[in-house]
Amino acid sequence: MSVQVPASISAETVERIAEERDEPEWLLETRLAALEALEDLDLPDVIQTPGNRWTDLESLDFESLVDPLNQADATERSEDTDAVVLPFTEALEEYGDLIEANFGSVLDPQENYLTALSVALFTTGTFVYVPEGVDAEDVTVRAEMNSRSLFSQTLVVTEESSSVTILEGIETGDDVEGERYFSNLVEVAAGENSHVQFGSLQNLDEETYTYALKRGVTDTYATINWIEGNLGSRLTRSDIETDLDGDGSESQIVGAFFGHEDQHFDINARVWHRAENTTADLVTRGVLDDEARSVYEGVQDVGQDAWNTSSYQRENTLMLSDDAEADASPKLIIHNHDTEASHSATVGQVDAEDLFYMESRTIDPITARNMLVEGFFVPVLEEIAVDEFREDLEALVGERLR
Amino acid sequence: MSSEDHIKETDTEARFEFKKEQKSAFQTEKGLTEETIRLISEDKDEPEWMLERRLRALEQYKAMPMPTDWPGQPDLSEVEIDEIVPYIRPDIETRGGAENWDDLPEEIQDTFDKLGIPEAEKKALSGVGAQYESEIVYQNMQEQWEEKGVIFCDMDKAVQEHEEIVKEHFMTKCVPPSDNKFAALHGAIWSGGSFVYVPEDVTVNMPVQAYFRMNSEGMGQFEHTLIIAEEGSEMHYIEGCSAPKYSAFNLHSGGVEVFVGEDAHVQYSTVQNWSKNTYNLNTKRAIVEENGRMEWISGSMGSKATMLYPSTILKGRGASDNHITIAMAGEGQDIDTGAKVYHNAPETKSTIESKSIAKDGGRTNYRGLVHIADGAENSSTAVECDALMFDNESTSDTMPYMEINESKVDVAHEATVGKIGDEDIFYLQSRGLDDDDAKQMIVSGFIEPITEELPIEYAVELNRLVELEMEGSLG
Amino acid sequence: MATLEINDLHARVAEEDGERILRGVDLTVESGEIHALMGPNGSGKSTTAKVIAGHPAYEVTDGEILLHLDEADVADIDEDIDEADYTWNLLELEPNERAALGIFLGFQYPAEIEGVTMTNFLRQAINAKHEEREELFEDEEAEADADEDEDAGYDSSPMEGPTDEGEIGVAEFQQLLSEKMELLDMDEKFMQRYLNAGFSGGEKKQNEVLQAAMLEPAVAVLDEIDSGLDIDRLQDVAKGINALRDEQGTGVLQITHYQRILDYVEPDHVHIMLDGEVVKSGDAELAEQLEDKGYDWVREEVYEAA
Repeated sequence: MSVQVPASISAETVERIAEERDEPEWLLETRLAALEALEDLDLPDVIQTPGNRWTDLESLDFESLVDPLNQADATERSEDTDAVVLPFTEALEEYGDLIEANFGSVLDPQENYLTALSVALFTTGTFVYVPEGVDAEDVTVRAEMNSRSLFSQTLVVTEESSSVTILEGIETGDDVEGERYFSNLVEVAAGENSHVQFGSLQNLDEETYTYALKRGVTDTYATINWIEGNLGSRLTRSDIETDLDGDGSESQIVGAFFGHEDQHFDINARVWHRAENTTADLVTRGVLDDEARSVYEGVQDVGQDAWNTSSYQRENTLMLSDDAEADASPKLIIHNHDTEASHSATVGQVDAEDLFYMESRTIDPITARNMLVEGFFVPVLEEIAVDEFREDLEALVGERLR
Repeated sequence: MSSEDHIKETDTEARFEFKKEQKSAFQTEKGLTEETIRLISEDKDEPEWMLERRLRALEQYKAMPMPTDWPGQPDLSEVEIDEIVPYIRPDIETRGGAENWDDLPEEIQDTFDKLGIPEAEKKALSGVGAQYESEIVYQNMQEQWEEKGVIFCDMDKAVQEHEEIVKEHFMTKCVPPSDNKFAALHGAIWSGGSFVYVPEDVTVNMPVQAYFRMNSEGMGQFEHTLIIAEEGSEMHYIEGCSAPKYSAFNLHSGGVEVFVGEDAHVQYSTVQNWSKNTYNLNTKRAIVEENGRMEWISGSMGSKATMLYPSTILKGRGASDNHITIAMAGEGQDIDTGAKVYHNAPETKSTIESKSIAKDGGRTNYRGLVHIADGAENSSTAVECDALMFDNESTSDTMPYMEINESKVDVAHEATVGKIGDEDIFYLQSRGLDDDDAKQMIVSGFIEPITEELPIEYAVELNRLVELEMEGSLG
Repeated sequence: MATLEINDLHARVAEEDGERILRGVDLTVESGEIHALMGPNGSGKSTTAKVIAGHPAYEVTDGEILLHLDEADVADIDEDIDEADYTWNLLELEPNERAALGIFLGFQYPAEIEGVTMTNFLRQAINAKHEEREELFEDEEAEADADEDEDAGYDSSPMEGPTDEGEIGVAEFQQLLSEKMELLDMDEKFMQRYLNAGFSGGEKKQNEVLQAAMLEPAVAVLDEIDSGLDIDRLQDVAKGINALRDEQGTGVLQITHYQRILDYVEPDHVHIMLDGEVVKSGDAELAEQLEDKGYDWVREEVYEAA
């Protein structure tokens, strides 16, 4: 079911965005092709059970959400690192060939309606390049969204035996009247034996609709570890995916979300095992308060040639309110028998016995509950190797609980 | 109930409706016309209300698209609905069976032999000829039950003799034709099947077996089973048997409706071993009242493609459900099966255990839905799916869906996929078992935790079928 | 009277450029004898055991493993037995065929198999052994006749299934099992448990000996059957091994690190392996010498002599 192309967007709009940034011809063409494809593309797949569609993307009104020529952001990028870290459009001048070679190689701009819209209109984003053998310092990217709509495009390229940790924080800056739309596409091309950790913490205001699609491809022995923390936005659709293309490659996808009021999180973690001896570990924990709703899909897809695969998935949701709703679908798709795979999912509430025990030790019920919620996130926090990022997430969880 | 009411009732079941886009490809089913339906109904001398229901279902069938957009669903493009239509006309008597024993495919004759089924039984099971010995057994059972007020009869006969109760329950509250395209098709052309009524506080000790009934009536392709277990009653119904059902048709679309009253307990067991050219698309559903208990036990071994998700609606407080599912897919088979449970009341409980085995290029999929409604507090559900795979030509999928609208719940889902370890096989071989026996033993061990919970007569049949399926197919 | 004869056995790990482990093993074990095979870690003891049983992880590159039988060993076979059927080249046979001829391997790390009860497993193994033996000693014409026999008639109702064709009846099996378990001081509840699943290390080893007792092999190769056992269990296991020899005339090839078990199971012959070869053989005294002087002593002696 294709969506109407907003009247506010035309070839001229796209050309103007490209022209203002003095972009090379190939990129303009890619943008225009994406724009043209819009009318034939569908929204991303959403889980549907009898009588119940888990996320309603159809009612997003792009006509009013998208204001392509007034995109504004304030983004700080760390500079003390051996890696190349540049705003995407600035990077084109010096690294044009490298970007051209990798852009769209991991994530097809015409994958769906939302990716095409994003590629056609993006004005911000980051390019990270880690040359061969470089063990780069942590890279931080702190972005503020200052407009009705913002489209961001990030590309990470790591060469052989390099390593880097990238931490991205996204918040709302200037107040803008009404509803907003934030789109965040991230591609990671991890070279042989390289190691990438990509962490993201999204805390946009609750008038914002967020779409994030982050996908990495691993070469031989490469590792991509994702951490995806979602606390903000009214509706978040987040897809974190790794294509384990190289023998012996690995990926971990760690997710945490905390919803309250009428927030809706559609969180997805997917991994494709396409080569031999690959390993994946998907760990997601979420808490829901008030009328918040979460939708989770985890996919472990093991291809026919993926011999000796190990693949694990765990998802746990904690419900703090009776009006919350948690939907989950952890999927195994296995085409090779030389596989050890498992998944588990649970939904429950704060354990009454635990609460009682704490209360009997004179802790008031609210504090006790908060302690238990913070404790619930510990297994996920433990996976976060970078202190600063873990502390940020802990602080946001703490804030939400007060 | 007037047919107006009936229409309303079936339409209000929107919760189960598949809201799918209209596809035009299946709009023009030649042959499946109002005329055909009228002929069926007339031939059975049905009351007017049943004809109306059939016609209404026909309309719904025509309006609904084929399900095609479920992730990874079996390919149904070869289902030849047009081909089926001439067969369902009542003037054709060969419904379902082969004309002669010798006409059965060799593979099936062979299976009958290996199962040790006597010659006379074989003919009956394959739908050929009449079976007098079983008729007597059946008659005896009937008398014993009748004294207690139990009714066990052919569905067509029930429409005539127990009209009021059938009218109230038949494809109204449980499985309305609007549920899905094949339920609608079933509603239009259903024929045969069983009607079981167990009065209050009566326990039927002996399992009621469609096995015996089949001998006298022949099992249709579109049989309807309606089971009503009144308050405090208890019964076990076994459907099917271990022999493969060979059919000229390529579509089996049965309907099963079970009403489990307060404190009642119904166990429904099936071993499905349709011939490997059959599309097996069934709709089975139970509604369970307060403190009632429903148990579904399904073994799916046969068919080319199966889409079967027995569902339970836990309607009354404290109602419970238990699903046990065993699926095995070999060459050319796509067994897509699982369970659906709706927790619509507080303190309801469900457990789902699924074991699947994929080999020789077959595909198994566990597809299941657990829905806990807002207000169904203190409910719990536990789902456990284990799959075993033999080779990298086969596919093993697991697709559970959980919809939890209530916080005071305990929800757990677990799944594993494993392979048959070379070390395990060597160990067994070193004790003298050959490769096939070793693998078979591991498969039996794999399903053992489930089979030990099964009624004995069912477990025996199931085990032997598994052995047959494993035999010689392993390299 | 059976004899297991290993001549100049060379084997390596069955993969490209797999490590060479056995470099010319010579060893002969006869019925009724107890042999101890000792040696430091990595000398090739366990590999020898696995190769005898036909483990697919190893490839034999040279040498032979023969099993010689005599009339008493094939007394259970009804067929006329050709002269050629008294000697078997084990390397040509599948693991289960070797087992049927009377080779038993007691595993260092027995597999754990969920869902298969001990009773069920052992009965099937015993029946499989009978069946396989018939097949091994059968000539081909007779085989064709036998196939026809199998198709005859039904002797039970479809709901009950055919009566088991196994050679050993349930009662007979149970009695045999009870006797053997008592001998090994094993709790009968083991029989309802799944094969090795959740067994302690010692229970697994006891179970290996029990299986040997049930299957009555001509030659039992016991790979570190004594490691991880406390003294009580060691005595039970030793009793079982002695009974194998005394009551069934089984030849035992016992692989061990420790002198300890040899106090309870006195070996007729002791062999020492180093670097993939049997470098020294002797009687029980050799084991004691080894205990006192260690493997370096053997190494020195062997390499000095060379």
